[in-house]
Amino acid sequence: MALTVHRGVSIVLIIIAIFYLYLAFQLPSFMNTVIDADTIPKITGFLLIILSVLYFFMPVKETEVEKEKRTEAKNDWHYILGMFIMTFLYITLLEVSGFLVTSIVFIFVCTRMLGYKKWKTNSIVSVLVPLFLYLSFTFLLNVRLPTGFMPF
Amino acid sequence: MIDFSGILSGLQMAISLEGILFVFIGVFVGTFIGLMPGLGPISAIAIMIPMTYNMDPTIALVMMAGVYYGAIFGGSTSSILLNAPGVAGTVATSFDGYPMAQQGKAGKALAIAAIAAFIGGTVSVVFLMLFAPVLSSVAIQFGPPEYFALMLLGLTAIASLSSGSTIKALMSALLGIMVVTIGIDAQTGTVRFTFGSANLLEGIDFLVIALGIFALAEVCALIINRQKTTFNAKTIGSLKITKEDFKEMVGPMSRQSVLGFIIGVLPGAGATIASFIGYTTEKRFAKNPDEFGKGSIKGLTAPETANNAATSGAFVPLLSLGIPGSGTTAVMLGALLVLNVQPGPLLMTENPTLFWGVIMSMYIGNIFLLILNLPLIPYISKILAIPRPMLISLVVVFCIIGVYSISFSIFDLYVLLAFGVIGYLMRMFQFPAAPFILAFILGGMLEQSFRQAMTISGNDVSIFISNPLSATLLALAAVSFLFPLWQSYRNKKNNNQTLSM
Repeated sequence: MALTVHRGVSIVLIIIAIFYLYLAFQLPSFMNTVIDADTIPKITGFLLIILSVLYFFMPVKETEVEKEKRTEAKNDWHYILGMFIMTFLYITLLEVSGFLVTSIVFIFVCTRMLGYKKWKTNSIVSVLVPLFLYLSFTFLLNVRLPTGFMPF
Repeated sequence: MIDFSGILSGLQMAISLEGILFVFIGVFVGTFIGLMPGLGPISAIAIMIPMTYNMDPTIALVMMAGVYYGAIFGGSTSSILLNAPGVAGTVATSFDGYPMAQQGKAGKALAIAAIAAFIGGTVSVVFLMLFAPVLSSVAIQFGPPEYFALMLLGLTAIASLSSGSTIKALMSALLGIMVVTIGIDAQTGTVRFTFGSANLLEGIDFLVIALGIFALAEVCALIINRQKTTFNAKTIGSLKITKEDFKEMVGPMSRQSVLGFIIGVLPGAGATIASFIGYTTEKRFAKNPDEFGKGSIKGLTAPETANNAATSGAFVPLLSLGIPGSGTTAVMLGALLVLNVQPGPLLMTENPTLFWGVIMSMYIGNIFLLILNLPLIPYISKILAIPRPMLISLVVVFCIIGVYSISFSIFDLYVLLAFGVIGYLMRMFQFPAAPFILAFILGGMLEQSFRQAMTISGNDVSIFISNPLSATLLALAAVSFLFPLWQSYRNKKNNNQTLSM
């Protein structure tokens, strides 16, 4: 029996379900409730295991379209990874450097990284949009965005 | 029994300055997002939610509803001009819309789509006005067993009707239920699956899930397709349609307004299924079905009427039962719960202004959409020229600011990123995300109604079967789950037979 993509996926799901069930069985129980806090999680976990096992043994054949969908990111995987890493940095620095500075840098660098070369337009947009957002959130919606080391 | 005073107060709200302004903002943003291939209505609504937090709930729902039907309305433009559907509900529009555009009749195709969408959208609002109150008055007698059965039916229906494999959709729904069990259990106070983190005690906010699984994951799709579509605004051509063209449209418009609405009301089905069914039924009715796919007016009118009719239909279960039947209406329900509004059978009597205000505003929203999508379409379609790299960065910023402005927590932002990765993986392995978000929103209510029913019955499961309505609903849920499995088994068998022959 070959380890196809769908079998790999179902094994991962079975592992998730077992881990979830393991945690569900450790939940404390209360005497005076009809349905305790662990009932629904246990049902859900077992159902996921049943469906995943069923899926494992199903004669699934990946169609061309499905294969293309799964592999279409192949040439662009470094862009996607780059976007996730930059978002991670954006989040980490958000409260340190403030919303304005972080967002301006993020939009400019991310747009450039993804292949947009007109730096003039890029600079204008990456300054104006965060500024507009900052002002409308602060003054219209009364939501305080992090300022970081900046005075505003 | 027609509640005229309720309708009147709704109308007053809808034609107030605030009502008109926010329905306009809603449909405009909807059109904008709908135009962008890759970004769907769920992302659009989720991005708008932070704006609604201090708002009057009626105005908030008016705006979010506008985003939804605006996105379906606007999605047709990119289907026609680029052959890249702006939203899933407008895939069928490209079958005949794009060939028309290639024949140099893009303007005509856009005009036909806009008129068909307007008729479908408006006629179905009339049905919404008639049917939502009726369903409300029936649903008022529903108890916990009926609600539990209804929600279960919603989940199995969305699983069996979503594109691709039913079993994957069901697993996606189960994962959604797993995620919603994180946090303090409301009834017993038991802390579940938090790994000792105080940040997880209140569970994961639905906005984090919606923005992560949909918006951030869609950003990845945008990255992959960032150079695929280019657009030249000069090629639209005349928007005129002749009397003969209109005559051809009348048949599909009248049929699909009704059919689309009915499909929209059904749990699990929505704009996408309505548009495909609309397309195939009209092809069957047509005198020359060979024209379909080559730029047929009927083939363009049918899905455009049906998908817009279905969006109003989707509001029937949301407003009268409080049970969303689709991913998009599930996100709207989530937003309403945050605003302390519980949609359900009592909504019409307890909060008539909201109930009728939203419905009334849909008439106005559809008129705005007709203006945006007909005379203004050559200008609006320039939005398609926005460089994708810039759009991607901006969507990420909108997601971050959206989550931060409701929780002020960096932890939530990391969770958002994690769900972005999960959403991307789900997309890659073709696990539909709509059942996940629907299960996440319904999960809490599902557990609660299950518990209430079991408490009423004294821990006897037979309450779900002895009650005729819940038994029927559960039977339907079983059928909707087993039928696709049986069908795929039969197809496999047939294929094997033909192979062995």
